[in-house]
Amino acid sequence: MLIRCNPLTASSCQDEHRFDLNLGKSGMAANYWASTQRRHWLFTRERLAAIRESFREKDKVAHSQFPLPDQRLLNIYFSQQLNKLGKRMSTRQQALATAQVYIKRYYTKNEIRSTNPYLVLTTAFYLACKMEECPQHIRFVVTEARSLWPGRQILTTTNPFAAAHVPSEFIAPDISKIGECEFSLISEMHSQLIVHHPYRSLSDLQAELTLTSDEVALAWSVINDHYLTDLPLLYPPHVIAIMAIIVAVVFKPSSQTAFHSSPAPIAGAMREGGINIFAALGDKGGAGPPPRIQKLITWLAESEVDIKAVIECTQELVSLYEVWEQYSEKNSKELLGRMIKGKSLDK
Amino acid sequence: MTVSPLVPPSPSAVAHRKSAGSETARTTQGNESPLQQVQPVADREITEQLNDEVRHKYIKAKKLGEGTYAVVYLGHLRTDPSSFVAIKKIKVNTEYKDGLSMDAIREVKYLQELRHPNIIALHDVFSSKDQNLNLVLEYLPRGDLEMLIKDSNVHYGVADVKAWMAMLARGVWFCHENFVLHRDIKPNNLLIASDGEVKLADFGLARSFADPYLNMTHQVITRWYRPPELLYGARQYSGAVDIWSVGMVFAELLLRVPFVAGNSDLDQITKICEAFGTPTEENWPSVSKLPNYIPTDGNHLVPLQGRDFFLRHFPTAGPVGADLLMSMCALDPRKRSTAYQALQHSWWSTEPRPTNKEDLPRKSGGTKKMGDDLTRRGGELDDQFKNAARQLDFAAMKG
Repeated sequence: MLIRCNPLTASSCQDEHRFDLNLGKSGMAANYWASTQRRHWLFTRERLAAIRESFREKDKVAHSQFPLPDQRLLNIYFSQQLNKLGKRMSTRQQALATAQVYIKRYYTKNEIRSTNPYLVLTTAFYLACKMEECPQHIRFVVTEARSLWPGRQILTTTNPFAAAHVPSEFIAPDISKIGECEFSLISEMHSQLIVHHPYRSLSDLQAELTLTSDEVALAWSVINDHYLTDLPLLYPPHVIAIMAIIVAVVFKPSSQTAFHSSPAPIAGAMREGGINIFAALGDKGGAGPPPRIQKLITWLAESEVDIKAVIECTQELVSLYEVWEQYSEKNSKELLGRMIKGKSLDK
Repeated sequence: MTVSPLVPPSPSAVAHRKSAGSETARTTQGNESPLQQVQPVADREITEQLNDEVRHKYIKAKKLGEGTYAVVYLGHLRTDPSSFVAIKKIKVNTEYKDGLSMDAIREVKYLQELRHPNIIALHDVFSSKDQNLNLVLEYLPRGDLEMLIKDSNVHYGVADVKAWMAMLARGVWFCHENFVLHRDIKPNNLLIASDGEVKLADFGLARSFADPYLNMTHQVITRWYRPPELLYGARQYSGAVDIWSVGMVFAELLLRVPFVAGNSDLDQITKICEAFGTPTEENWPSVSKLPNYIPTDGNHLVPLQGRDFFLRHFPTAGPVGADLLMSMCALDPRKRSTAYQALQHSWWSTEPRPTNKEDLPRKSGGTKKMGDDLTRRGGELDDQFKNAARQLDFAAMKG
């Protein structure tokens, strides 16, 4: 169905292929190639690093006084908290994904140590639900967030003396706080609110690559995981989708639960396997991998997809699964709590 | 002049936002490599500064209109007093308790992404100190189609109708091409630029096409322009809902009164049945399964109207025009033409040719009308009824 061209010289037909990937048959809100996401919210790694470094430079004291876990571990914590919030209100996955991207965008404009992350999380969730057409009432969101993150317990464990006379909570009962924060979120994002997700590209490619439902489910969960990294700020959604498909088809972990409870072995397998598949891309004449994988390799080689970008995404995911081993919910929670109390960010 | 109204968006309209300061420097480039961003230094003050820069680009002159939801001002560029804009200030504070309203969210969301000559352009967004969101919109001084339809001093012919319809159809096609449903097409949402170009405005009810099997609310589109499937409570629908509205606008342009103007939802569906025929399982398979379907007793069945009906009622359109109208008014949404099919219809190339947009009939007082149009909430017939469409249907939207 596609016009095949030589990947090395095919600049002229690139766009055609891309439209194929992204517009597919089913709907995608507006078109990615003309989107504000592509024009204003894709960063280079260097740019992102420079932004974060400038935050550090601006407030070295806060950075040494209130250490926080690795960004990815923090993202895992945020994502788990959002999931809890989402579950209480039976929200769509897409809204949670959008909320995570909003949080990332927001923290490219604001240093986390000058914000109350729980308020940002709640507001991003609230706004994302409206954006993805599954709105929740603001009062309901505030009530659920308050019961999920009461704020007091942390204080009593870290500073039992202060607890008695400093009533403290992460989310104030006053809903106008969320209103204010929403306004700030929208302003910081320059009212560019549509987020294109890789899920759509995945369903579009499902038929073309004859993916099994297991593979789709696995690729889906890999896409969920990519929100724990900077990838949504670095690559277009279809590149992420293709990365997820490769991971699903090539590594096929026995079950999804095993995948998440212990990501480390997968990381190792992916690293080795990854080298193999990408080596095979350059050497199509060899004995090569099994036919199923060969088919994918052929498709990849013939498509106009930026293989280098796909490899980089895979590596990012490998390192996520490696760092995941160090994750401790308790640790993230405590460090955030200490920061919020220490800087009175909940006021 | 091209015969087919199917005009691809100009690349400049798609690729670049007319935007302030450092934003204009951003360009689209190498697709696969992440963009080299000319982002402002990540820093709160600079973000504010950028916002101030945008705000200071414009001067608010006089108030054009005020509604419950927004105030619209006439404004102009500080550097060029002759280049006008409309500044729509969304009253956040009145909406405060529920955060920003869905109307405002949807409007900003879609206008940020959709660039097309027949869709009102959003030049900028800035926030003011009192926490209001300000949308800097294209200035459309010549009012709207409703004004022209209603004013008996304005004379127009089928060539003019053809020009307006072509512009409307292109705007709708572009929305659907980008998977956006407008859901409130009607004459007073079709504003007119100084060069005569018709622009689709008010995206307060718009949404993306839902994923298959996900429900949407049926409480959309102002009643007289609402298609039968929505009146029957359909929760899954397509671009066909907008096409029905386009058909109703077409009919109204030809007749100069709304063609089916019910005074309640029930009356609306009754009038549709009387006009176009009673929906039955034969002419619209599985219509009886729609949630609010009302069976008509056998004695009152109106047969599905054919070509002669449309020719009789809309003689000015001519046989080809009547055929196009009929294709937009199919009761069964699956049989209704799509925006793309409508644009390929032979009516556009049939004599008389569409009037050049510069030569279309005009009327003064458009600026005031623009103010009214932009402050009104969607789904409302002016002063006639308060539509419940705007109330969030929480239970319905979960999915």
